[in-house]
Amino acid sequence: MSGEAEAFAGSGRMRLLYRLRVATREPTTLVGLAMAALFAYLIVVPIAAILLDAVTTQFGDERRTGTAAGGWTLYYLHRSLVSPIAGVMFWQPLWNTLSVAATTIGLAVILGTPMAWLVSRTDMLGRRWFATALIVPYMLPAWTFALAWTTLFKNRTVGGQQGWIEALGFSPPDWLAYGRLPITVILALHYTPFIILLFGNALRRFDSQLEDSARILGASRARIARSIVLPLMKPALISAIVLIFAKCLGEFGVAYVLGLPVKFEVLATSLYRNIGSRQTGVAGVLAGAIMLLGILTLLVDAWLLREARRFVTVGSKGAMDRLTRLGALRLPATGLAGLMFAASVGLPVLTLVLSTVMHVPARFTAANFTLDYWIGRDLDTVALRQGILLTPDFWRAAWNTLWIVGSASITSGLLGLLVGYTVVRTPVRPLAVFLRQVTFFPYLVPGIAFAAAYLSLFAVARGPLPALYGTMAILILALIADQMPYASRAGIAAMMQLGKEPEEAAQVAGSGWLHRMVRIVVPIQKGSLVTGVLLPFISGIKGLSLFVILAVPSTDVLTTWSLRLVDYDYTQAANAVVLMIAGLAYGGTLVAQRLTRTNLAEGLGG
Amino acid sequence: MPGIELRKVQKTYGAYRAVSGLDLAVRDGEFLCLLGPSGCGKTTTLRMIAGLENLSGGALTVGGRVMDAPAQAVFVPPERRGMGLVFQSYALWPHLTVAQNTEFGLRLRGVARPERQRRTTEVMQALGIEALRDRYPSQLSGGQQQRVALARMLVVNPEVLLLDEPLSNLDARLRLEMRAELKRLHQAFQTTIVFVTHDQWEAMTLADTIAVMNAGTLQQTGTPDEIYDRPANRFVAEFVGSPPINILEFAGSDALAAAARRHLADRHPGITGIGSLGIRPESIALGPGEAPAGAEGAFTAPARVTGILPTGGSWIVELDALGRTLFLNTHVAPQARIGEPLHLAVPDRALNVFDARGDRIAAADAALARAAA
Repeated sequence: MSGEAEAFAGSGRMRLLYRLRVATREPTTLVGLAMAALFAYLIVVPIAAILLDAVTTQFGDERRTGTAAGGWTLYYLHRSLVSPIAGVMFWQPLWNTLSVAATTIGLAVILGTPMAWLVSRTDMLGRRWFATALIVPYMLPAWTFALAWTTLFKNRTVGGQQGWIEALGFSPPDWLAYGRLPITVILALHYTPFIILLFGNALRRFDSQLEDSARILGASRARIARSIVLPLMKPALISAIVLIFAKCLGEFGVAYVLGLPVKFEVLATSLYRNIGSRQTGVAGVLAGAIMLLGILTLLVDAWLLREARRFVTVGSKGAMDRLTRLGALRLPATGLAGLMFAASVGLPVLTLVLSTVMHVPARFTAANFTLDYWIGRDLDTVALRQGILLTPDFWRAAWNTLWIVGSASITSGLLGLLVGYTVVRTPVRPLAVFLRQVTFFPYLVPGIAFAAAYLSLFAVARGPLPALYGTMAILILALIADQMPYASRAGIAAMMQLGKEPEEAAQVAGSGWLHRMVRIVVPIQKGSLVTGVLLPFISGIKGLSLFVILAVPSTDVLTTWSLRLVDYDYTQAANAVVLMIAGLAYGGTLVAQRLTRTNLAEGLGG
Repeated sequence: MPGIELRKVQKTYGAYRAVSGLDLAVRDGEFLCLLGPSGCGKTTTLRMIAGLENLSGGALTVGGRVMDAPAQAVFVPPERRGMGLVFQSYALWPHLTVAQNTEFGLRLRGVARPERQRRTTEVMQALGIEALRDRYPSQLSGGQQQRVALARMLVVNPEVLLLDEPLSNLDARLRLEMRAELKRLHQAFQTTIVFVTHDQWEAMTLADTIAVMNAGTLQQTGTPDEIYDRPANRFVAEFVGSPPINILEFAGSDALAAAARRHLADRHPGITGIGSLGIRPESIALGPGEAPAGAEGAFTAPARVTGILPTGGSWIVELDALGRTLFLNTHVAPQARIGEPLHLAVPDRALNVFDARGDRIAAADAALARAAA
């Protein structure tokens, strides 16, 4: 009897052994710990490193800061925020960033809300077609438009091929050709789809019984719109606005192409220039400022949404597709939408296409058309003496893009699913919380700041790692980290829906962990895995801000290579590459939507 | 077929005790139902037997082999226990067809293809799902899914089959059919089955043995008749039975309870410490007019009918006895009219006597049974 009692009590050592045995029987937690370490290294450490750069003396700055390299200093903060050049370096770019973002949002709301309404709640002609067509600007890289703009409006301020207007004999003023106005207009056109998607979606889901109730009580249509519909649409509108603001913070390409000629700087371009001139400490301050703004935006968003969601309504059977009859306004409304499409897609794309098949801008004679810039040989130029499709550099950049973006997307998609699995399954709650938060963190950090962080950390050999600058590895790692917020969210959402039981059933039937992952979990999650790989792949193909800091000529991807072409004023070649990127991104998005039957709006809403 | 033994089994989640001090033995080939309200620990117990949860204390042996014992640092993972488990949600793998779902376990065991196909087909035929072999789970009805879930487990001939409320998502008629099928399967395969349910009717009809649980502890184990006729405590008495048992509290100011107390004190002075009395609705008989004076071996009291509720083939009669409402259940159409003065009679052997803590006074049973003889 005493033996049995002892057997039940068990020694402390046995209990510990038992705990260990139970805890390690499933590798979930071990896998989770490994991932936590990986993400700490890929996400937390780089960000810490660049923030540290801002307050420690950089190599070569010892004389200025008065401390040894690596010592604490306020020099960079002082230089960026209060010194005589702080205005040029920080305050002016900050003001430009904020004011461009604000104007962009205003324009996008003005343009987007009527379009959202037309597309989702009226009997406008070609409504379904417009629903997709008006989203196209978002599928194209933003600086596609910037190149189209310069192609049209470039003046004598900069050299190279003339702009079309200039070629026609008019000289566009600087304010029209470069700087604030074109940047704002282009960003507004690019981000209007956010409003159309998010606001339109909310309008579509709006319960028309709510409108009916107000009508029965005698409210006029205007009154209903003002008192019922708009207040309920607030959360969707806020989401869209915050999203646009966050995107504008890190926007680099448009400001770079259109701002540089007139020295119109935003935070992202100032950061880029400081990195270019090896002002690592100041770059740290700027990256920190961009991150801080990003985090603040998200906090404001969370707060606003909490306020707004108090009265969020649940769609019921009343959420039917009842359309407003436009009557006599039907044709004008359709025309308006058509105009919007022409301005935001038709004109820019057409300009770019034409620019790549014409010798001299804006001269519409048969002799002026050529395919030389695509497939010509032995051209009469200083460099790039053959068409873009015959240039080895192009194919190398295309291959790099495919390889870098592809491997990063597949890795982050799989990691995302694994994060989802661990977060949902591990019994160790702190691990789940850490993984969820650390993978979300890059969302708060605009790509350009993140890239700067990578540069700061991996430019030199650290510990066992060799210096990664100039390798593909640094691009792949940065891209993986940058994509983790989307990948992990998709993974967590998918795993939440799966439930434990299919897996437990396999387990009882005799299936071990790896077998279950391969035979049960991944096959069931195939759909979300495809989405989790494809969507980041598309945004990676058209992404610029992350690559522009980390890529060197040998690791050029299509976007950075086309930017180099812009820098060298190879207008036609640059435009051709950008067109191909746009085509890839557009086609890829359509394929992704077709394959997974996902709605882009949901992918965006995040 | 192996028996299952749980000794002093504990399961705690932080401070919460899901299961405590559970001693339970399931014999070879026995069909045991774990019965209890939701949250009583019955599913946790099942999951511990399967190995999906580990024990916090105690020991679990299956077929004499220790499967889980913290004190001995033994834990056999679920994939190596060779059991079958059918979930309430069925948990079919949505990306596999009926046939693929069914043969999964055989594949895992490396059974050769011809043998695998033969056995898969055999089981699917036995369960009547052969025609559905190429369908996906989403194309099946609830009953069909349930059969696939069962086929998936039966195909590997598990020595122990665990069922977690497998019938609760089916409609009433299908549930009856599946119940008959389960009983048939059990007789054919002689598998040891542990079946979790909160449905007493299901437990009664299926089980060799019922184990009633509440708040993480075992209340009583016994055959369905034992559980119904001789509930070990107030909880079992009140949880099992519909309409529910009539309870007379001796502590309060209930006039009917006072009459019962006088009756017991007169006839059975040896029984002491009574806290309450339970009377099954079927035990109550009605008689015309005043109670016959000094009826032998039965408790009688004046009563009036206040309501008659037909339930199709049987009737629930609501009575007022000395100001107390009682329910009576009868399979004979009641003749009494509402308000008519009658008397009720309950044989002494049908009285369930509980002490102040609610436990059955087992010593009273013999005395009460003798009185009837």
